[in-house]
Amino acid sequence: MNQVVGKHEKSDEIPKQGKQVKEKKIKSKPGNELSSNSVTSEQAANKLKEKELRKLEWEKKLAEQKLKNDKENLSKAELKNKRREQQEAQRQAKVEKEKITEKAKSQKPEEKNNDIRKSPQKITEVKKTKTLKCVQFVQHLYRESNQNFISNTVNPKDIHPVFIKLGVQYAERVILGSNARCLALLAAIQNLINDLQTPPKHEYCRYMESVLQCCTNYLQECRPFAVSMTNALRYFKLQLTHMDKSLTDNEKRARLLDVIDLYINNDIKRAWDAICMKVNDKIFTNDVILIFGCSSLLYRILIDANKSGKKFSVIVVDSRPLLEGREMLRKLVSAKINCTYVLINALSFVMKQATKVLLGAHALLANGSVMSRIGTAQVALVAQACNKPVLVCCETYKFTERVQTDSFVYNEIGDSNILLSVDTLSTTSPLVPLKDNPKLNILNLLYDVTPPDLVTAVITELAILPCTSVPVVLRINAKENM
Amino acid sequence: MKQTDDLSDVIKLISDIKHKNIQSSHDVAIRTEKMLDNIISQGKWDSALELMELIKQRIKCFSQSLPDEPTASNIMKHILKVIRTECQSMSKKTGDTHSLHQIVTGDATHELDYSETVSNLKSVLLGYLSEYKEELESSAENIAAQASEHIHSNETILTVGRSRTVERFLKSASKQRMFSVIVVEGAPSYLGHSMASALTKNNIQTTVIPDSAVFAMMSRVNKVIIGTHTVLANGGLRALSGIYVVALAAKHYSIPVMVLSHMYKLTSLYVGSNDHETFNVHASPASVIPYSSGSILNSVNIKNPVFDYVPPELVTLFITHQGGNVPSYIYRLLSEMYHPDDYDM
Repeated sequence: MNQVVGKHEKSDEIPKQGKQVKEKKIKSKPGNELSSNSVTSEQAANKLKEKELRKLEWEKKLAEQKLKNDKENLSKAELKNKRREQQEAQRQAKVEKEKITEKAKSQKPEEKNNDIRKSPQKITEVKKTKTLKCVQFVQHLYRESNQNFISNTVNPKDIHPVFIKLGVQYAERVILGSNARCLALLAAIQNLINDLQTPPKHEYCRYMESVLQCCTNYLQECRPFAVSMTNALRYFKLQLTHMDKSLTDNEKRARLLDVIDLYINNDIKRAWDAICMKVNDKIFTNDVILIFGCSSLLYRILIDANKSGKKFSVIVVDSRPLLEGREMLRKLVSAKINCTYVLINALSFVMKQATKVLLGAHALLANGSVMSRIGTAQVALVAQACNKPVLVCCETYKFTERVQTDSFVYNEIGDSNILLSVDTLSTTSPLVPLKDNPKLNILNLLYDVTPPDLVTAVITELAILPCTSVPVVLRINAKENM
Repeated sequence: MKQTDDLSDVIKLISDIKHKNIQSSHDVAIRTEKMLDNIISQGKWDSALELMELIKQRIKCFSQSLPDEPTASNIMKHILKVIRTECQSMSKKTGDTHSLHQIVTGDATHELDYSETVSNLKSVLLGYLSEYKEELESSAENIAAQASEHIHSNETILTVGRSRTVERFLKSASKQRMFSVIVVEGAPSYLGHSMASALTKNNIQTTVIPDSAVFAMMSRVNKVIIGTHTVLANGGLRALSGIYVVALAAKHYSIPVMVLSHMYKLTSLYVGSNDHETFNVHASPASVIPYSSGSILNSVNIKNPVFDYVPPELVTLFITHQGGNVPSYIYRLLSEMYHPDDYDM
């Protein structure tokens, strides 16, 4: 089964099967539109879906053209070249269209489709120039080749349009934060469950697994998975393999949808509620709470505490280049919470006024280290030097078996160009003209790792724990899931 | 005593600093030296006491207008000390033998009478000043010359913001060694960008990181080399805000922190914390969050402190033109520079 899909990915030789799959997808579209209630603005989503429909139609046509090419023996070498030099794929596609087809002329939407396709390609090109220069000790973190990524974005066969959209949103940082990314992934999987039609001689869950694998591979190339996403995905796959084979497809769908809903409710949303309650007990009147960056969980906690009538103030510490704290500040101010805003350089100045430090987390590692947005370790460090308690708020679904002692083993590198633009300066940075100088590197790491001795306690939905209890929680959770 | 002094020279200096006509502390030092030269050669004074009074007035005037700018006052205080020692050595009566007993008991029987007219004091002082000027000019060079003692091949050096002394130091080291530099950009002034561009142009491998990445990067750093605004009397620093975190992270990873400083940055000031009222200066919040952010600015408290206090235990070494010194030895350098009577003004 996997083999068939593998072949299909590569080949023009079995175009029929490819067509079949695509037709199925297209057929499934209207149902998808009806059932889409999770998407934020339906109109926009529908428009996108229309575009994606057209895209798929266009792909079908391209495949037909390739068939023709083969028949007319218009050099296979050319086709291979095309696959290799994927950046030029579009241009060639255009040229081909003009040369060969009479059918294609008639339809305008193709040009629009081209525009859509250009955007992901641009992103990859930017990334490519970046990989030319790299800081040596984080060399392994730079993405090696974007060839696959490009090929997938140009020819995203077998990938559900929802995932293509999601991939672009991840890559362009439209969806940011590990909770938001995980929820978006689960919503996309739900879409896929609804739309997937089992081909003959296939079992729904097995087929689902292989399709999902393609989709997640694509997502991985857009941006590496967050720990929350990996865990959610692992859980879902476990449920897939444990699914009762005797059920009908529709029953399986319903069950899988339930599985995801249950996960979202139990492991994410109820965890938030539980953490909110626990932290609320720790916030007292006249507290000054120092937070760093913008965490969806911390926002909920602070809003909850505010609603319960406690008078407290918040110090929002922010850092470049993302400046997420401004978003947090805006939200908190609109909730009428008394706020102070500083950049991370003024940390030592404001830390003395704070009574507690609350931090969000990207993941909790098995050795007790906290992986979180870059700068978190610094906040914890200064807090410890000033004897302030550091509370890390983290749902247990973000716990991972991985161990890491420094910030380089596993990390992500962001776009270095955003470090060069400063919105509070009137002059441009003197580094802009030197951007391409081989002696100059600009490093924009996304995460750092806070050693466990800088963290007072981790607040999870289970209990308030020391960092070192991560393996215990992992063990218990694993038993429950079995 | 003649009261015709109008302090116009020091007021001019203050306004030049305030209007940023002179920015680097080295330029301030040169200007101060020139001003002192004028006072000594053309000022109306007959005795050492009167001269000292003239200079003290200027120190008071200066430190009232610019309490956070120590260079000029420090140089003037230093010259006060020189005047005292010159007088002492010229007056034959005072035996230069302070017995240990006298030092321990603080016996003040040897108080000098500075009001006597000393004939050749002027020429001696002018001679010393020209010597001092040379020392000022060669100071940065002397510091830079020590670079190869501290930077080895293939090391990674971390620095923050922009300091001309550090820049010279690194450039001097790059002539002999291959090493790479990590520059922290130093928001919200972003002087690290210009530092990085200066280093890149000198063919030094440079990496720019945001302030938030200091802790993450510190594990790969061999040495932290920074400049400072002031060296305090206890060996602590008054430095660019953000340096405290750097020093703390360095301590966490046991990485040496070296502070390059000219002697005129040594200040006889004790400050225990950075939120002390007289310690810090607040810059405009516009560089933290732009005015274009809209109405939320009305309801938010935005802080932009300029300085950080770095306690002496986080500093490994001070490098001055005389060589390296540990923070606990700063008190001794201070007493060489200034007379104890001039510490508080």
